[in-house]
Amino acid sequence: MRVETTKHRTMGAAASTAPDAEFVLRVENVSKVYGLFYALRSVSLNIRRSSIHGLLGENGAGKSTLVGIISGQRAPSSGAIYLDGINVADADVRAMEQAGVFLVTQEPMIIDHMSAAENLMLGIWPAKGGFVRWSKLKADAARMLKDSGIDPDINAGRLNAVARRKLNILRAMFSGGKVIILDEPTAALTVPDRRQLFDFMRQLKNDGVTFIFISHYNDEILEICDAVSVLRDGSLAGGSEDIGSMTSAQLSELVLGRGLVLFQRERRSFEAEPVAVSLHNVVADDVDLDRLDIRKGEIVGFTGLPGAGAKELAKAIFGLNRSRSGSISFEGKAGQGLPNHPQAAFDNGIAYLSDDRRRDGVVGHLSIAENIALSSLQRRALFGFIQRGEEANLCDGYFSSMGIKAPNAAAVVNTLSGGNQQKVCLGRVLATEPRLLILDEPTRGIDVGVKQDVLRIIDALSKTGVSVIIVSTDTDELVRSVDRVCVFRNGAIYETLTGDDITTESLRRLAQV
Amino acid sequence: MSTVTTTSIPKEAAAEKNAGMHKMIGWILHNVVWIWLVALVIGFGMFNEFFLTVLNMQNITVQATVLGMLGLAVALPLLVAEIDLSIPANLGFSSAIGALAYSDLGMPWFLAMLVGVGVATLVGFFNGLCITKLRMVSLIQTLSMMIILQGALLALTQGKTLTNLSDGYVWIGQATTLGGWPLMPLILVIALAVVGIMLRMTILGRSIYAVGGNPLASNSAGIRVNRIKIITYTIAGFLAGVAGFLLASWQMAITSNQGSSYLLYAIAAPIIGGVSVFGGRGNVVGILGGVLLLTVIQVGLAITNVPSFYVGMIGGFMIFIAVAIDAIRVRYFA
Ligand SMILES: Nc1ncnc2c1ncn2[C@@H]1O[C@H](COP(=O)(O)OP(=O)(O)OP(=O)(O)O)[C@@H](O)[C@H]1O
Ligand SMILES: [Mg+2]
Repeated sequence: MRVETTKHRTMGAAASTAPDAEFVLRVENVSKVYGLFYALRSVSLNIRRSSIHGLLGENGAGKSTLVGIISGQRAPSSGAIYLDGINVADADVRAMEQAGVFLVTQEPMIIDHMSAAENLMLGIWPAKGGFVRWSKLKADAARMLKDSGIDPDINAGRLNAVARRKLNILRAMFSGGKVIILDEPTAALTVPDRRQLFDFMRQLKNDGVTFIFISHYNDEILEICDAVSVLRDGSLAGGSEDIGSMTSAQLSELVLGRGLVLFQRERRSFEAEPVAVSLHNVVADDVDLDRLDIRKGEIVGFTGLPGAGAKELAKAIFGLNRSRSGSISFEGKAGQGLPNHPQAAFDNGIAYLSDDRRRDGVVGHLSIAENIALSSLQRRALFGFIQRGEEANLCDGYFSSMGIKAPNAAAVVNTLSGGNQQKVCLGRVLATEPRLLILDEPTRGIDVGVKQDVLRIIDALSKTGVSVIIVSTDTDELVRSVDRVCVFRNGAIYETLTGDDITTESLRRLAQV
Repeated sequence: MSTVTTTSIPKEAAAEKNAGMHKMIGWILHNVVWIWLVALVIGFGMFNEFFLTVLNMQNITVQATVLGMLGLAVALPLLVAEIDLSIPANLGFSSAIGALAYSDLGMPWFLAMLVGVGVATLVGFFNGLCITKLRMVSLIQTLSMMIILQGALLALTQGKTLTNLSDGYVWIGQATTLGGWPLMPLILVIALAVVGIMLRMTILGRSIYAVGGNPLASNSAGIRVNRIKIITYTIAGFLAGVAGFLLASWQMAITSNQGSSYLLYAIAAPIIGGVSVFGGRGNVVGILGGVLLLTVIQVGLAITNVPSFYVGMIGGFMIFIAVAIDAIRVRYFA
């Protein structure tokens, strides 16, 4: 049994008027080979006009590769892509954007030294005779950014991960394109942002725009998509035209090819446990914290809107944001200043996972093994020489325990899928064997199956006595994985939830995320 | 759920013959510097049989020594995605300091030589400080340093050539070992080995590659990015100082523009050898290849009877071809 796509395959491009009325985009037998590795194996699918088509699959299944090919960023090894009946398999990004196909890539594409407005208009500058019309650019940008809370003139390098992501999305949404592809656009967006994005999508869909929507969140797929296709190991593994009747569990099963057991931490009180880390009077940019104690083996969630202090405090503890004052003490010992550099933090047993892996998570051109070892080189060295054997053991260990999908640990990180890069980052921070582990959006971009694995790994780690801070706007994730949640507002802890008070509803209400 | 469908994974017809071919071309392009080098050696050898004599080979290794030290020095800042244009000027300036410390201050030649190398190292360290702590742009900062050092050399020598060098000082440039092979290239071999081991096997080396690839991620991974950059500049200065000593020792003289002629070749050699100007990529084997290639082109053109008016142009073309092939490799096989 085949998906509906097979029906029209025998028709040539010339005779394809009938399906092209119905389908704006048709992918036929597209393959992509890297060396000997098939990232895609003759994938065929049809995208119905003015619909929202979900593209699902595990990490490394080939989703980004496929939309990269559709949008002209990469060339297919073989196969054809028809946009309104015209084969566009050879077109490049510029040609595809002119034809009305826009891709918002998985990792934000931002030029740091340009303003937000310029980034927004990148490549679609309003021009007259070769000159950019600055006044129009400014006016358009201001209109587009009106509801986003982003200052058009701000230097894009100073924007946080959420704002960078929003800029890319807005650029596509206002492009006037007829096919807009969103590759994991909601990763790290807050609920109001997401709501706004979905309303916008529905509105454009009614105007005839077609969307391809990639996400690892089942609830989003169920909420917004009209149809889904599932990739598994580069091949089309199935799909559904009628997802209204599906449940989240069924969707997971379709993606994974097996049932999924959702992880739930057994929450308990840590009142009686010894204090592992305690923070006093921390003042830094967007942070003004009185006091916070984290106990041995406890998992604490930080949540709140961007700028409310959750992320900022996490960075200050790690020494990425300079703190103006404040002290940290470990296991009841005398307090000391907060670390002034990540290296000092690592030396004190504090590890941190960034929420923007491409920016400051991975070194893309190094191998998986080199990335995993990067933060723990010091402790595995003899007179400055890296102990190769030990390094290999360490990396192989994390390579397999994290389930990183790649030929071997010598593969270059740039060639990995987004979710697999995230696992590499996680491996790197775990390899430092910290006593305080700070994770900023740890499951961002990780598929449903692996997400449970990651939450399980963190849970097991906490049972060995490691204290964990999880910074997240994913309320479901917090509910499943933490013992206590600190909700941040105005740089301080506004409310702390424990035990059965931690629910999706209470978190959404309090954090306004 | 009636429309949920599943498909079996299609069996893939093996198109893997192609992959082998692809691999081979990739290998050839990967080693293009070395293949090009061998081709040129054979080519020059056919034009002029003197080219393939032992004597000429010895000459080439001596010629390659100073360029090799400079290429190595230039490569280190390139690996952390910065640049140091002042290295050849540092060579000239520091060797003059060393020579004057002997001739005018009466220091023993060895101590004087160390003073010269020390000054070069300090200059490198200072460049590193300016680029990290003051956040000066390395291209412009080192350009100005280059001009300063060139000017300082001219002032020190008052436009004259320094030839008052001790016998001990010039010994290494003239000494030979078994079979008349010169001793000086051994210094380059040692330097290549030490830097190579440093890059491949030490924390410092790994940090250099990481910083060059993604400074923000390196910082978050606990690497002191500024410190690493300063160290690379300092080592580069040290290598420039040693190169200055070697050049003066070999030529037994320090001219008022000593080293200036090396600038472009010293930058071209590592880049031809695969060191990326964007940082994070390159190794000493490649640098050696680039250095030998440039030296062979220079020596080869000098001894085949190419009219001197054409030498510069032909040499430029040969370099151009090497770089173009490398660009093709990066485009299709990286
Ligand atoms: N340049 C490349 N060289 C080699 N392999 C590559 C390259 N680019 C992608 N791949 C491989 O292709 C496969 C598909 O990657 P892709 O990014 O499309 O996955 P994905 O479905 O988007 O996953 P994720 O959910 O993690 O984003 C991965 O196994 C990846 O390692
Ligand atoms: Mg992807």
